Amino acid sequence: MTGSYRHLPLAEVQPGMVLSDELLDKQGNVLLPAGAVLTEKMLERMPGHGIESLAVVDDSPPDPVKTAAEREAQLARIAALFRRHDPDDEEDWASQALRALVTEFRVGKEEV
Amino acid sequence: MSLPLTYDDVVNNLDDLPSLPAVVMELLNSIDQEETDITVLAKKVSHDQALTAKTLRLANSSLFGLQVKVTTIQQAITFLGFQSTRNLITAASVTGCFADKACPGFDHSAFWRHSIATAACAKILARHARFNQDYAFTAGLLHDIGRLVLVSSFPQEYAQVIAYQQANDCYTLDAERAVLGIDHVEAGLALAEHWNFSDTMRLAIAGHHDPGKVGAGFLAAIVHVADAVVHALDLAQKPDDMVPSVSPVAWKALNLSEETSLHLFRETELQYEEIAMVLLAA
Repeated sequence: MTGSYRHLPLAEVQPGMVLSDELLDKQGNVLLPAGAVLTEKMLERMPGHGIESLAVVDDSPPDPVKTAAEREAQLARIAALFRRHDPDDEEDWASQALRALVTEFRVGKEEV
Repeated sequence: MSLPLTYDDVVNNLDDLPSLPAVVMELLNSIDQEETDITVLAKKVSHDQALTAKTLRLANSSLFGLQVKVTTIQQAITFLGFQSTRNLITAASVTGCFADKACPGFDHSAFWRHSIATAACAKILARHARFNQDYAFTAGLLHDIGRLVLVSSFPQEYAQVIAYQQANDCYTLDAERAVLGIDHVEAGLALAEHWNFSDTMRLAIAGHHDPGKVGAGFLAAIVHVADAVVHALDLAQKPDDMVPSVSPVAWKALNLSEETSLHLFRETELQYEEIAMVLLAA
């Protein structure tokens, strides 16, 4: 896995897009290697293997408005998950440490 | 059943719970004996085709990164060892054991999503801490099993727990204590007794909400942190999910660096998806 990727439902995947992860079927057999360029024919066969969505390489230039919105949504969700934790409660520092790490994992390090 | 419930109420209802396949019970009972005859075991498990198929798919998943594909239980034992195979068989059978009972509001699939993710995370944490990874996986998978005991034995009463929890936006553990007078930790211990879990597993189930308690054991710390990480990563996708308080004792004991943590999160997400696909398949 390299760079950024996105999970798309099969209907939104276009020929020419690049697989970001190895594609496995339900038995764990490799159907396609990471980095494979998807063709129309490959996509037609996916439903037969029970595949509903794919991880493809995301090479579209990031849309700043959308990125900011996604970032806000991530931060809001983390805040909701940690709603029972008071950041000023020193006894609860381990929960805050976990929160900081998950925030870094989801939206990167700045402004944490 | 009148509330509050007692430990005895839970124990008295255990016999009505679905039982595991005989071979799995035998495996659980033999967990502290090393010399169980492997060929006998392989033969017995192979009679159950669905169980064999699930076990082999787990063995061939990236959880173990085997270079060769195993196609029989015997082979799995050769490549993964007896302990790992036994734990996979347990995982494959337990996840299919409790039917979706009529308990309004209880999300069966969210329960297993959380348990499977905790199992995956606990296994990775154990590797980092050089602890037995198979124990960690199984303990992670079964840490909340008491909740299923309560839901299966007392579905109407447990529906009240869920209603209470939603009304008060509190932790499930507190809602259980307030409504039932007994919680899933105690119910889990009753089942662990009933199913003859090993002492290590019992300690982990007992201590996963309070790993700082003297005698809780390191496995309880691993499961506790894995549980919190999985809540924080939102893997069960429960809209009103909330992260429990992380025990400073357990957090310190695992000594996770920033780099290790980020790696742990990524690996947990990836493995979770893969295992969930095998274990939750119809």
